[in-house]
Amino acid sequence: MADLALAHLVKRFAGGVVGVDDVTLTVGEGAFTALVGPSGCGKTTILRLVAGLEEPTSGTVQIGGRDVTWLPPRERDVAMVFQNYALYPHLTVRENIAFPLAVRRMAGAELSRRVTNAAELLEIGALLDRKPAQLSGGQRQRAALARAIVREPACFLFDEPLSNLDAQVRAQTRAELVALHRRLGATILYVTHDQVEAMTMAQTVAVMARGRLLQEGAPLRLYRDPASLAVARFLGSPSINTVAGRTTGARFEGALACEARVAACADAVLGVRPEHLVLGPAMDAAPAQVTLVEPLGPESLVRLRLRSGEELVARVAGEAACCAGDAVGVRVAAGTGLFFRAADGTRLA
Amino acid sequence: MTRGERRAAALATLLWSVATIGVAWHALHGIDHAARSREALARAHALQGRAPSPAFPMHLDVRELSALQQDERPLIVHDPDGSELVTAPVKDADDWEIIGAVGLYSRWREMAISTALPSFAALLVAIGLMVGVRAVRTVGPRVAAVGAGALFGAAAAATTLQLRDAVVALAPRAAAPPALERLALAPPSLAFTGLLLALLAVSGALAVATIHWHAAQAERPARVRETLGAWSFIAPSLAHLLVFTIAPVGFLLWISVHDWDLLSSDRPFVGLAHFREIAHDPLFWRALRNGLVYALYVPVTMVAALGAALVLDQPLRGIKLLRVVVFLPYVASTVAVALVWQWLLHRDFGLLNAALATLHLPRVDWLGNPATALPALMLVSAWGQLGYMMVVYLAGLQAIPQSLIEAARLDGADAWQRFRLVVWPMLRPVSTYLLLTGIIWSFHGFTLVYVMTEGGPAHATDVLVYRIYQTAWEFRRFDVAAAMSVVLCGLLLVLTALQWRTVKGEAADA
Ligand SMILES: Nc1ncnc2c1ncn2[C@@H]1O[C@H](COP(=O)(O)OP(=O)(O)OP(=O)(O)O)[C@@H](O)[C@H]1O
Ligand SMILES: [Mg+2]
Repeated sequence: MADLALAHLVKRFAGGVVGVDDVTLTVGEGAFTALVGPSGCGKTTILRLVAGLEEPTSGTVQIGGRDVTWLPPRERDVAMVFQNYALYPHLTVRENIAFPLAVRRMAGAELSRRVTNAAELLEIGALLDRKPAQLSGGQRQRAALARAIVREPACFLFDEPLSNLDAQVRAQTRAELVALHRRLGATILYVTHDQVEAMTMAQTVAVMARGRLLQEGAPLRLYRDPASLAVARFLGSPSINTVAGRTTGARFEGALACEARVAACADAVLGVRPEHLVLGPAMDAAPAQVTLVEPLGPESLVRLRLRSGEELVARVAGEAACCAGDAVGVRVAAGTGLFFRAADGTRLA
Repeated sequence: MTRGERRAAALATLLWSVATIGVAWHALHGIDHAARSREALARAHALQGRAPSPAFPMHLDVRELSALQQDERPLIVHDPDGSELVTAPVKDADDWEIIGAVGLYSRWREMAISTALPSFAALLVAIGLMVGVRAVRTVGPRVAAVGAGALFGAAAAATTLQLRDAVVALAPRAAAPPALERLALAPPSLAFTGLLLALLAVSGALAVATIHWHAAQAERPARVRETLGAWSFIAPSLAHLLVFTIAPVGFLLWISVHDWDLLSSDRPFVGLAHFREIAHDPLFWRALRNGLVYALYVPVTMVAALGAALVLDQPLRGIKLLRVVVFLPYVASTVAVALVWQWLLHRDFGLLNAALATLHLPRVDWLGNPATALPALMLVSAWGQLGYMMVVYLAGLQAIPQSLIEAARLDGADAWQRFRLVVWPMLRPVSTYLLLTGIIWSFHGFTLVYVMTEGGPAHATDVLVYRIYQTAWEFRRFDVAAAMSVVLCGLLLVLTALQWRTVKGEAADA
């Protein structure tokens, strides 16, 4: 295993599209980093640059301290699991898994031992003689994974490996991947646009937008302390509530008003997580109407509309005390508001 | 309808078809001229010396009567309506003057019975089938059964009526000698009877099929509707196939087992005599061997085409123009290609020999030398097919998901390994397709041989199709040519079956 370091990586495609814009990112040895961001933000492009399937316009890629920027894929010692798994359809699962070893002229007992080990690790020992077409989505995913781990690469690249699976298999595979990571101690760069995946699996999450790296850090730190509105919006489900307004002195004034420990007077956006909205009568509560209550069991989502027209979502424990059509008061729990500059979305406090 | 009943329906259809074919065969071939001649003569002798009847039953024209007068042998003559009869002259007691004739028609009554019988048998089976259907609640299948029965009956009755009508119309009138009355069974016209028989056959099959359909509809309406829709969609091309492919092939098979030429109307059945003849014909074997050697250009061209496709698959500048250029020969008319190459390969003025001459190498008579003529033809064929194969390979290459190639690159495969382990296996369906269709086409190859070498020199380029052409149109041995075509047809069938099997195998793989 080795660490992976990207420095000032830029990829400009023919035609002027900038896929990756000055990204610097380090994945420590044995670390699991998730790369998240909306569709088209350049996640796949970064993986391809690391794998050597694309050449960067500028910047460097280092694996285990070795500059591999201009090396062909097979000299980089990375394994990639593609979104569509890219299993060779004409080969059996066994031959698929053995492929990386066979092209390196490994044969005989060593090869079959490693294939068997990888297959057993992923519990597909019984499927070895099938063709990929005869496997379910989850089984294909495992076969692709086995093909990736069989040659013990310096680092793994995953490109939305779970997006083709149904919700149940996905949840299960998520846990298995984490366990696998622990067992192998592998360096993993994992691309997804599912923030739940990123938050639950990774030790570090890196959020991207439009080719740029916005922020990286531990999942919960990013959730609680986002550097910008874009990061705040991307993490959390339902998404963070936003209300436009203005900070003056120690207060934020807008459709919702609350305390703000911000010195500057500026046009600002208040961001407040659904779980930080408090329903009920209070002195500084803003009047709102309940438009929909979504009971989820242990908690409920209450959708509200403020007088001024803003839509909000509140998360309340257990069953909600109100129902659609009720008039309620809503306020921000003390000290939980996040404030962003209206002009560029950067964090005020 | 249970499975057993369905089987019965199928069996009935089969029986019906076999019976009708038998009847048709009987109608066309059951005429034993020698026996009929003997019979006619015996009848004539029995009548010898009797007074001639004023209303003689025969509709013979004057010319035929005069022919009768000159010859005592029985004659096969044709009625004005086209049917055939055997006549024998009846003379007076002195054995001197011809006073009439005995005419013997084919035994059409038996035919009528044999036509009607299977018809009713099939009808019975159909009705039995319907009675056996317990689960049918709707009236539909019953109506269908009755309709089918009516159709059957009508067709059978029409045939029988047609036969009986003919007997009445041509039977001797009141004054005819009684002996003649029984003999003169008038035949219907052959063509019309054939038409009726065909109608009967079709209606029989249709009737049983209708019953089958309706019964099945009660079970699975959606599927029947789908089947009906599907059949109506393929009906036009099916009809085309029947008329322009199946029928000619049937005719070919027929010719191949008969003595058949354009001049004689007598075309006796000879069994496998023509096949035996070609089996002992060294030229036929020569042509077959030449064809096999010629077919070798296909794999050779495929290799070249794959190479070209791999090169032209690269995203290079001007590559599209190059693709078009490589493809062009395939679009060009084969005759034009043949003529151009004839010139290129010419012994005295050809470009190829001019090039050899500048290198101080001896000139070669490419098309005139038995050793080089076939390779030269193969070269031209390869040149013409290269573009096509290249385009097919190019399409195959572009159908390979890019991610597979990338996965192979990441897995550590170098360019040759990527080709050998990923690209080539994934192109296998394309390769088998090209190989088999290519070989099939190579066996069809005619134009090049016809224009460039005419099978020569010394039969060095004599391929099967050219042999067939020459046998039929230059030697006028259509029957032998037909037998050769049957052999070629069988050969191609085997190849096609092979292709089908591999295509199916591949589909199961994917
Ligand atoms: N070969 C290419 N040529 C030109 N533009 C490209 C090419 N590949 C990607 N792009 C562009 O680069 C940007 C980033 O693409 P990328 O595939 O990395 O997005 P992504 O983050 O993986 O998106 P998704 O979540 O939808 O997979 C997109 O705007 C895309 O249109
Ligand atoms: Mg992507």
